Amino acid sequence: MRILTTCIYCGCGCGLYLESESGKIVGSYPSRNHPVSKGALCVKGWNAYEFINSPDRLTVPLVKSSDNFKESGWNEALNLVSEKLLQIKEEYGPDSLAFLSSAKTTNEENFLMMKLARAVFKTNNIDHCARLCHASTVVGLAATFGSGAMTNSINEFEKADLFLVTGSDTTEQHPLIGSRIINAVVDRGAELIVVDPRRIELTKYANIFMQQDNGTDVAWINGMMNVIIKERLYDQKYVEERTENFAELKEMVKDYPPEKVEKITKIPKNLLIQAARLYAQTKKAMILYSMGITQHTTGTDNVKSLANLAMLTGHVGLPSTGVNPLRGQNNVQGACDLGALPNVFSGYQKVGDKAVRDKFERAWKVESLPADPGLTVTEIFKKAKEGKIKGLYIMGENPALSDPDLTQVRKALEKLEFLVIQDIFMSETAEYADVVLPAASFAEKDGTFTNTERRVQRIRKAIEPKGKSKPDWQILSEIGKRCGYSGIEYQDPSQIMDEIASLTPIYGGISYERLEPFGLQWPCPAKEHPGTPYLHKDKFAKGKGSFIPCPYVAPDELPDEEYNFALSTGRVYWHWHTGTMSRRTSLLDREVPGAYVEMHPADAEQLKIKEGEKVEVSSRRGEIELAVKLTKKVKEGSLFIPFHVREAAANVLTNPAIDPIAKIPEYKICAAKVEKI
Amino acid sequence: MKNEYLPHPARIESIQRESFDTQTFKVIFVDEKLAKSFNYKPGQFMEISLLGMGEAPISITSSPSRKGCLEFTIRAMGKLTRAINQLKRGNVLYLRGPYGNSFSLEEVKGKDLYFIAGGIGLPPLRSVINTVFDKRENFGKVKILYGAKTPDELCFKEELKVWQKFPNTELLLTVDTQDKDWKGNVGVVTTLWEKTAMDGNQAIACVCGPPIMIRFVVQKLLESQFKEKNIHISLERYMKCGLGKCGHCNIGGKFVCIDGPVFTYSQIKELPAKEHVL
Amino acid sequence: MKKLHNSHPPPYPLPSREGKIGEGVFVIPCTVKKDRVKDLLITASEEWDAFVPWKGPEEDVQFVKLPDEKRKNFLDRLSLEDGAPLIPPKTVIFPQLESLFEFEEGKIKEMIPSPTKKLLFGLRACDVKAILFVDDFFKRNFEDIYYLNRTMNKLLVLVGCKTPPRDCFCTSTKTGPFLPVPRSLGEVGKEGFDLQLVDIGKKYLVEVGSEKGKEFIGNYQDFFEEASKKDVELSKAMKKKAEEAVTLKIDFEKAIKNFCEDKISQIIYEKIAERCIYCGGCLYICPTCTCFNIFDGKKGDRGKRSRNWDACVFEGYTREASGHNPRAEKWLRTSRRYEHKLKYNYLTTGMSGCVGCGRCLATCPVNLGMSKLIQEVTK
Ligand SMILES: Cc1cc2nc3c(=O)[nH]c(=O)nc-3n(C[C@H](O)[C@H](O)[C@H](O)COP(=O)(O)OP(=O)(O)OC[C@H]3O[C@@H](n4cnc5c(N)ncnc54)[C@H](O)[C@@H]3O)c2cc1C
Ligand code: SF4
Ligand code: SF4
Ligand code: FES
Repeated sequence: MRILTTCIYCGCGCGLYLESESGKIVGSYPSRNHPVSKGALCVKGWNAYEFINSPDRLTVPLVKSSDNFKESGWNEALNLVSEKLLQIKEEYGPDSLAFLSSAKTTNEENFLMMKLARAVFKTNNIDHCARLCHASTVVGLAATFGSGAMTNSINEFEKADLFLVTGSDTTEQHPLIGSRIINAVVDRGAELIVVDPRRIELTKYANIFMQQDNGTDVAWINGMMNVIIKERLYDQKYVEERTENFAELKEMVKDYPPEKVEKITKIPKNLLIQAARLYAQTKKAMILYSMGITQHTTGTDNVKSLANLAMLTGHVGLPSTGVNPLRGQNNVQGACDLGALPNVFSGYQKVGDKAVRDKFERAWKVESLPADPGLTVTEIFKKAKEGKIKGLYIMGENPALSDPDLTQVRKALEKLEFLVIQDIFMSETAEYADVVLPAASFAEKDGTFTNTERRVQRIRKAIEPKGKSKPDWQILSEIGKRCGYSGIEYQDPSQIMDEIASLTPIYGGISYERLEPFGLQWPCPAKEHPGTPYLHKDKFAKGKGSFIPCPYVAPDELPDEEYNFALSTGRVYWHWHTGTMSRRTSLLDREVPGAYVEMHPADAEQLKIKEGEKVEVSSRRGEIELAVKLTKKVKEGSLFIPFHVREAAANVLTNPAIDPIAKIPEYKICAAKVEKI
Repeated sequence: MKNEYLPHPARIESIQRESFDTQTFKVIFVDEKLAKSFNYKPGQFMEISLLGMGEAPISITSSPSRKGCLEFTIRAMGKLTRAINQLKRGNVLYLRGPYGNSFSLEEVKGKDLYFIAGGIGLPPLRSVINTVFDKRENFGKVKILYGAKTPDELCFKEELKVWQKFPNTELLLTVDTQDKDWKGNVGVVTTLWEKTAMDGNQAIACVCGPPIMIRFVVQKLLESQFKEKNIHISLERYMKCGLGKCGHCNIGGKFVCIDGPVFTYSQIKELPAKEHVL
Repeated sequence: MKKLHNSHPPPYPLPSREGKIGEGVFVIPCTVKKDRVKDLLITASEEWDAFVPWKGPEEDVQFVKLPDEKRKNFLDRLSLEDGAPLIPPKTVIFPQLESLFEFEEGKIKEMIPSPTKKLLFGLRACDVKAILFVDDFFKRNFEDIYYLNRTMNKLLVLVGCKTPPRDCFCTSTKTGPFLPVPRSLGEVGKEGFDLQLVDIGKKYLVEVGSEKGKEFIGNYQDFFEEASKKDVELSKAMKKKAEEAVTLKIDFEKAIKNFCEDKISQIIYEKIAERCIYCGGCLYICPTCTCFNIFDGKKGDRGKRSRNWDACVFEGYTREASGHNPRAEKWLRTSRRYEHKLKYNYLTTGMSGCVGCGRCLATCPVNLGMSKLIQEVTK
């Protein structure tokens, strides 16, 4: 038996088939006609079948009693969860509860999670890991364009003439977008500008490679705009007709002549000028970025600056152009779209807006939905540590490995009065839980994911849930019911989608029938609407695009005498986030079996460190031990650590300093030191 | 048709520590019939596993001329081998095999035999050496050249003393780094060439050890007039099935698991050089 | 030229196919009407597990087992007209993931598949050749009981491509679009197929490749009619037309020769290796690739040992526990992939490991593939 579904790993959202034999998944392979995969998959997709069968899958609810987990029945576990949550709400108020939704679960489940938080528990304390990856995108692009999503589509990469790739190791993180860039450059002679502190794979194909100092993005982007304005290379007509606030931008970027930018960023001024000219003068020019831009204390500024650059040159609202944030998780786009955020309902409708609240209150048959924005992930853990958050419900996330400054996060988890974890595996976080609820995997349920290009597409049930596990949407609905709310009962996820469509204008025209076979790209406001491959055609979502000038501000923590390296963290091709799935896939685990830190050979020589040697890397927050991998991918004075491995969790080191607006932590730079052991 | 992937339980009868990370396990099949009928040749290996921990190819170090238990000398290198080294007497291992070709002793009757081993390379040769000693009269001179990183890492310390006493037999040991008690040679195996006459004219050499050692040893052997076809080398390659199926051990058109692990130098020379055979 | 590595090197060029198309028909062929094919399959599926190329609602074609119910509806999506499906029928005979045995408290329970009768209906010529190749591989040296049990009772029905997809080059590898009919019938067809169907308009001409094939016709004779002279003539014309429709031509023989004589420069491999993004797709999808990994999983004292598809382009494929890796460099793995197929397979078996299906190119995210390499090395 084969069934078409959507890959569980990255935001590309490849269409893959799951093959099952006697109720067991025995393979996964690409769809030839799917618009993203087109017959191909990356290594993770080709191996997406294995972890589903892992014997470590959670199969029964677990309840902790005196430091040990005991297996329990569903009824008992669910009753306990609802009673406890209600009790905390009664005793300490709704905002003593918080909910973490998940970019790995479906749109429907994210919607239910926020419904549960808002309608049943009356709190806006709901967030998810987008906070840690693209919160600055959502905020930054909403402010400038009016919509915080990737402007264009994956297949438009096949027609673009120039790519400006920054802060995205595209071939590693979004392989099927990376491959499109390689093909465009090699087979069609498209131009490629890479701006990255690391010598990533794509630099092999780049016409221009600018290796900036980590954390200086606003400066080089302003520098490019300085050149473009000075040389009058910008699109004057476009700027006049479609944008506002140009004068202010012009004034501000005057301060960033290439000479000065060179001093801040270490990008040679000639290179910057060349890049600026090339980008401005190429019609079909796409900007792509990812966590290298967003995960900074200046993340929102970085995003806004890229948006400024694109608007200045008229590169928004046309095919094969745009500002294209590559979303990391398979459904991080969807989790944001469906309102698993503290300040908005689904479709980015503000909780502060009375009319919106009225609409949801009517539809959900509840009263007094909370109006003040709730807490973000980072704030939730801070408040938990202070004892202000008492109960936390986490679905499909693993903050005990993924969040910055882990030591603090783990302390916060310990402090909680009640912690519920709903997951497919016993994660590092689950060990702190009072109740662990076993969830069905993506192969065992129906639903939809929304990929990075806003394509809402189906996942389909191929086999029965393993053991006694249940789909997340059923669990959430059960909890809602037990808390006395009947407006949360559904026969199947398509009914949830119908509710979503009725309440969410950008998903307004979406239904399961219409999603056959390969989905629709939002905005899709009406039943007849064909979906939208690229945004801001003729007009920005907010009307006129706004230039928001951002001056350069240095990162929160820079290398100093003691902590003399600039440490960055990220992913590798073979693994996925905290490795709960990829490390249970024999082939992927074999390829990158352990933790390592990338270091420039020149630095290693100075420290007398050899390839493969074990070292201790430490920051002001903690230390880990791992092996050294010598590579010129990193600059001298820089380090890079993949964060997948529990044995040496990189996030023990990272800096929890956050972007003031988007509250995204600065994963991409902190000061660290290396010592031999 | 036999299920070649099916392993059979074998009980650990005794454990002998060889060095800080290496132990020799004496095991016997739980199934008595199998224990009786089981046959193998020196140089062959078996796939050893712990259920749930994986499998690894390990040479049989006991010799077929001594019936009874099978012996394996296992160094803790990775997940499985580390787990095996935690086991106690009475625990059960799972075995399938034997696999691979062997050092053929029929063809070399009457000839001089040179065994040259480095580190964990001695265990497979020990099987041949003991088979030879059990029919000592069939062979000419026997010389054993054995090197390890440190004195601690020399395997079969007691048995080495026994070997030394056999007639017409020479045992030369060396270590890379000595400790305070070490009185023997210091240096890589090839430094032993200065300590004894190596005459390859009528002789057969059996070599096993890390690739870099093999490379230097072969060089020396050729200089000492050993014929290419008389130099037998046991190769190591990543293995999974041991059956010529999984493909991992493939070099050129050969499978190390079924065409080897023992190859003559002339065969090795025909394998593609870029595969870094040696 | 360096001495070849096996004792009896087959001579170039590839001997896989001597007879001319349409010649040497041993049994008088018969025909089956197209509108009776569904019924034939439904009837045959009483006795056989029937696998057919099936086009799902997404228009993707793949070999799928005929379900137990609603067969007629299901067969509305039978796809005999399209080219070879992207995913080869290898998934039927050698699944991506297969359990070897389960264990509990030290007790082992083998999980050997039962030797069910399998009718693979609608195979393309390249896939028949590939199955022949894989059969031979799993029988050689040690017999692989898992594979052999799955496949020992199979019947291969080839339906030749009418309009081959653009990536294939089977006329260059001499593996299609039709296979020559053997002059005598062995138990297993020498060419691999048991029956070969040629589209001649409203019906298929059926050619017999083995005793098993003949027997099948006998068992379901109601569905078959004797072929007229005209049918046979028509089939010859159809075969020729199909052959002409394969437009991608490469010099396969020269490629094999260059490979066997080690004339491929490292630079070519390096170029490919540099572009490759290590998805493994080209090997997973190759109908003749058989490499696998074996791994264990357990919880407490219960678990299982399984095997799944592996591929030689991966760095960990040869990395030993000590960290030593004889194929650490990327280009070495690339060269392994191509040399295995075009040199070593050929030298050890006389069959090349490439059957010209073009799938590797079709699945490669960065547009690399066998045909491209061959064009490069035969320039
Ligand atoms: C013919 C042959 C004979 C051997 N004889 C001995 C011996 O007598 N004593 C001994 O201590 N070691 C021997 N080895 C080496 C031993 O097989 C490896 O050390 C062992 O496989 C490491 O497995 P692991 O599971 O502990 O390591 P991991 O790193 O966890 O390896 C995982 C898997 O990779 C494969 N693998 C890794 N390294 C090797 C390797 N070097 N060779 C083959 N497969 C590997 C195995 O399938 C292993 O289970 C021999 C190897 C070969 C090929
Ligand atoms: S190498 Fe490519 S073209 Fe040849 S058989 Fe394999 S997949 Fe088909
Ligand atoms: S399909 Fe292409 S990218 Fe993938 S492994 Fe093969 S050559 Fe490399
Ligand atoms: S170990 Fe599997 S083929 Fe040699």
